[in-house]
Amino acid sequence: MSKQADKNVKVSKKKDFSPANIILWIILICVAVVQIFPLIWLIDFSLASSNEMFTTGLLIIPNKIQWGNYAKAFVDGHFLHYLRNSILINGLAVILVVVISIMAAFACKRMQWKLNNFVKTLLLLGMMIPIHATLLPNYKIYSYLHMTDTIWALLIPYVAFSLPQGLFLMTGFLDGVPVELEEAAVMDGCGIYRIVFQIVTPILKPSIATVCIMTFLNNWNEFMMASTYLSSPKWKTLPFSILEFTGQYSSNYAVQFAVMALTAAPAVIVYIVLNKHITKGVAMGAVKG
Amino acid sequence: MKKLYSNKLVILSLVFPGLLVFVFAILAPIILSVYYGFTEYSGMGTATFIGLENYKTLFHDKAFGRSLLNSLLLAIGFICIQHPIAIVVAAVLDKLQGKAEGFFRCIYFIPNVISVAVIAYLWKFIYNPDFGLLNNILHIFGVQEKINWFSADLAIWSVLIVLIWHGFGWGMLIYYTGIKNIDPVLYEAASIDGADAKTTFFRITLPLMKPVIQVNVTMAVISALKQMETVYLLTNGGPGNRTQFAANYLYQQAFKAFKYGYGNAIGVVFIIICLIITVGLNTLFADREKKA
Repeated sequence: MSKQADKNVKVSKKKDFSPANIILWIILICVAVVQIFPLIWLIDFSLASSNEMFTTGLLIIPNKIQWGNYAKAFVDGHFLHYLRNSILINGLAVILVVVISIMAAFACKRMQWKLNNFVKTLLLLGMMIPIHATLLPNYKIYSYLHMTDTIWALLIPYVAFSLPQGLFLMTGFLDGVPVELEEAAVMDGCGIYRIVFQIVTPILKPSIATVCIMTFLNNWNEFMMASTYLSSPKWKTLPFSILEFTGQYSSNYAVQFAVMALTAAPAVIVYIVLNKHITKGVAMGAVKG
Repeated sequence: MKKLYSNKLVILSLVFPGLLVFVFAILAPIILSVYYGFTEYSGMGTATFIGLENYKTLFHDKAFGRSLLNSLLLAIGFICIQHPIAIVVAAVLDKLQGKAEGFFRCIYFIPNVISVAVIAYLWKFIYNPDFGLLNNILHIFGVQEKINWFSADLAIWSVLIVLIWHGFGWGMLIYYTGIKNIDPVLYEAASIDGADAKTTFFRITLPLMKPVIQVNVTMAVISALKQMETVYLLTNGGPGNRTQFAANYLYQQAFKAFKYGYGNAIGVVFIIICLIITVGLNTLFADREKKA
């Protein structure tokens, strides 16, 4: 019903060309231009040659579109290698965060024990700890355990710093799941593990999607930990396509623009395709978190 | 049921992975940091215990003070520049419908999904004195001078602009969600009573958005405090610590200046400041909520 009312209000305001409305449109468009123009500029310059860049105009119309910039960026930026690492590490991190947070949320919310609230608070404390303060001691720990330059050096902190938010969201949603369902399952002789993974998990689907999106957004672009804990390119992630490339092509600006556009592309494309879901997920995650 | 739900072994198996990760990746490093914070240590060789020396030095460290000041500036920038625009844009966006709404929402959020690495290098180019976008735009308005945006006086503002620009979509989206959750019946009632758009915005939208604004302000302050990546790539704190932020400073001290012990002391103070401010803001807003 409220949706219907919503629509009515909007319809009544549709064809309104009052000055106030025009000002609102101008604000909307101005902000959009400010947000998007740097990216258009980036793509434009990435298709030009370096010699053409020293103009005073805003955009360049290249004499010849330089697709070669992208070929160089793709090959010398080791795009596929870094992309594969990013997908693998982030995928694993997402799976681990979801599984661990469901298990912990269930234990803290449903199971009957004395320390449930204490453990929950303890785990949520991670949200307040600045990630970057752990860079120094973690580096020491990982070196000591010979874990630097392995996938674990990224995976463990990625999971650790996304877990609190995951747990927070899961416990929130678990409150909305009726206990009766579990009671029925117990009657049927289900064990706890089956209840958690076969009964509760499917109900939590929307929140799992939210946790996945938030974890992915948190970690996809991370590079501080990666550049601290990793030394060889073996497990380095997508941001390194740029970080290591700029030295190699320090004077060829056009190719640097290309590598930037290329690195940004996967996330932007996925975002545009999944726009609605991601917006919903972020909104849910951010408002609750 | 009760017996099944209080099986200690099952409980342990459920929380163990979470606790393990927490202890290994968060708690143990913090404890180690506290330990190294009391030592003089270059990162190699042996650490010598020097008690509270590091903390005494830190207390008079101008660069650290500057870092906190910059975080404060950034928080003010978020709250006074980014958020008002974000709220207005979110309110206007909510009034749109169909394709336009989705289109603009998408555009505003795109910078947010782009890696900080790309953003930092992109803005380095935008600020470039030779071919940068910003000077070219100013050129159109008749400014002939090639401005160096990373000079001692301008650098911090240049950094703030990037951060405010980059985080805009996030803040906007949260306000937008908040506005979407406002009961449309209220707007209907207001329009029946003859309220114009301005009155509606100030009398209905803003007051009902209070909890959302509080969440957003808290997040803005905390992210201003935790800022590191963009600054690390854009200016690395320079020139002369003018754009320094706490996280970047502790990193520099440990890995560039080889004062690993001192870096950890900064880390400990940094964590304490973050905890105090998070808890402080949350209780402040929770109290207000109760009184209201």
